[in-house]
Amino acid sequence: MENIAVIVILVSLGYFFGRMAENKHYQSIREREQAFLSLPTTSTKKPMGNIDHISHVQLVHGNVVISVDYFKRFLATLRNIFGGPIQAYETLLDRARREAVLRLKESCPDANQIINLRLETSSISKGDSERIGSVEVLAYGTAIYHQDSNAQAPIL
Amino acid sequence: MFVTNIEDVPGKTITVCHGIVSGSTVRAKHMGRDIMASLKNIFGGELKGYTELLGESREQAIERMKAQALQMGANAIVNVRFSTSSVAAGAAEIYVYGTAVNVE
Amino acid sequence: MKYQPSLPEHNDNVSHHHPVREFVILIFGVVGLVVISFLILGLFVDQAVNYISPEDEAQLFAKVDLSGAFGDEESSTTQELLQQLIDSLGRCHNILFPLTVHLIKSEDINALALPGGDIVIFSALLKQLPSINGLTFVLAHELGHFKNRDHLRSMGRGLVLAALITYFAGANSDVSQMLASSMTLGQTKYSQSRESKADETALDILNCYYGHVGGATDLFETLQQEEEGSGSELFHYFDSHPEIQKRIEMIHALSKKQGYQVGETQPLNDHFAIQDTL
Repeated sequence: MENIAVIVILVSLGYFFGRMAENKHYQSIREREQAFLSLPTTSTKKPMGNIDHISHVQLVHGNVVISVDYFKRFLATLRNIFGGPIQAYETLLDRARREAVLRLKESCPDANQIINLRLETSSISKGDSERIGSVEVLAYGTAIYHQDSNAQAPIL
Repeated sequence: MFVTNIEDVPGKTITVCHGIVSGSTVRAKHMGRDIMASLKNIFGGELKGYTELLGESREQAIERMKAQALQMGANAIVNVRFSTSSVAAGAAEIYVYGTAVNVE
Repeated sequence: MKYQPSLPEHNDNVSHHHPVREFVILIFGVVGLVVISFLILGLFVDQAVNYISPEDEAQLFAKVDLSGAFGDEESSTTQELLQQLIDSLGRCHNILFPLTVHLIKSEDINALALPGGDIVIFSALLKQLPSINGLTFVLAHELGHFKNRDHLRSMGRGLVLAALITYFAGANSDVSQMLASSMTLGQTKYSQSRESKADETALDILNCYYGHVGGATDLFETLQQEEEGSGSELFHYFDSHPEIQKRIEMIHALSKKQGYQVGETQPLNDHFAIQDTL
């Protein structure tokens, strides 16, 4: 009896606080994505614009580890029985990947463009995945700084 | 919609670059499949249930990425990369990303 | 090539239906699935129990002593006296396999019937009982379980339950914990009816042995006094034994129906030299 009570309390706590934290995080992600919109980011290897004007290049990266709340972990375990899309983990991955890219951009705010953006995901709790569902996302790329840092978006 | 994993779309020129687009999905198979897979592990061979699961997941991730590109007004995605991870046991997580562009 | 930055208007990478809805659907799905498989497998267990004869059972469990799982055994004269009592009850029931009493030191007021004819009595129970008649009723109640084959049924169901939950939710997850708790609730209703049947048998044995049924409700009256003030109505529902008051009333009604007399009881202390260590 006490078991059920404890689980119900944990699930509802997880639901309310998890939802609050998630909404707050999404809010901040959207605002920062808007702020960094003008920094060109591509997954292509060639930089956009005139290669002659490049002053220096630099490897940049950003990473984040995010965990799911108790409610979502519970939901995911249930979903595992029936199969199908695990909705509970979709937002976890979406948030983690967007946050990692944002941190990468925040690490080089003066760059003119970022090329060859790559993303890696890993699960740091794989051995005990039923207990902790957390994921690490690493975003890395090459930041390119132009000689004239006031230059607008490059035109080829 | 052109989707490639090279720098450009052969025979076309890129006119506008829109930035990164991505699609992700997390899916699980039902218990029955998991049990079949663990049995199959004894004898080896293809795990049809899991092949199907990962195939479906990639398909869905690509669809989601394309939907994002369409919203941006792009007509091609170049330099597409796949990335997988495992958060939950028995579930497949696929992430696919690329650069949304317009080609002519 | 020019750069024209834009962001997607809505997020296609997450599903947008409400998680609580998914949660409710999934919970009902899982619980329904487990309950249905439990009922079906439970029926199989009942069928299987009918096929195992008491002789087969005695042979099967002859080498297994499950009573050790409940605590240390007290080998004392008290245990020998208990054994003598259960042996002398033999003329009042038709259980053919040998019965062994194990006196286990424990704070719980309880007694159990285990496969293979083992009866476990917890020491706290002996301490609480006011009369030898009350003790005989408790032993006879466990004999009733043997007669109705409840010990096999409950063990079989317990195994089915554990297997099902491990299968559905993994051995150690929160989901399996929750399922186990909720399934025990379902099983409670089932075992309450088995307990009432065992009480019925116990009453017959008590009447046969003493010629009257005085002391049958001794244990329950003691328990009632102890529980008075503590514990709410809600929690009684979850006891596997019917609520104490209901049980007392049921026993009274039954003895009236059968025309059993209520006679004088003998204090327990006259027969059992109960040490303080118990």
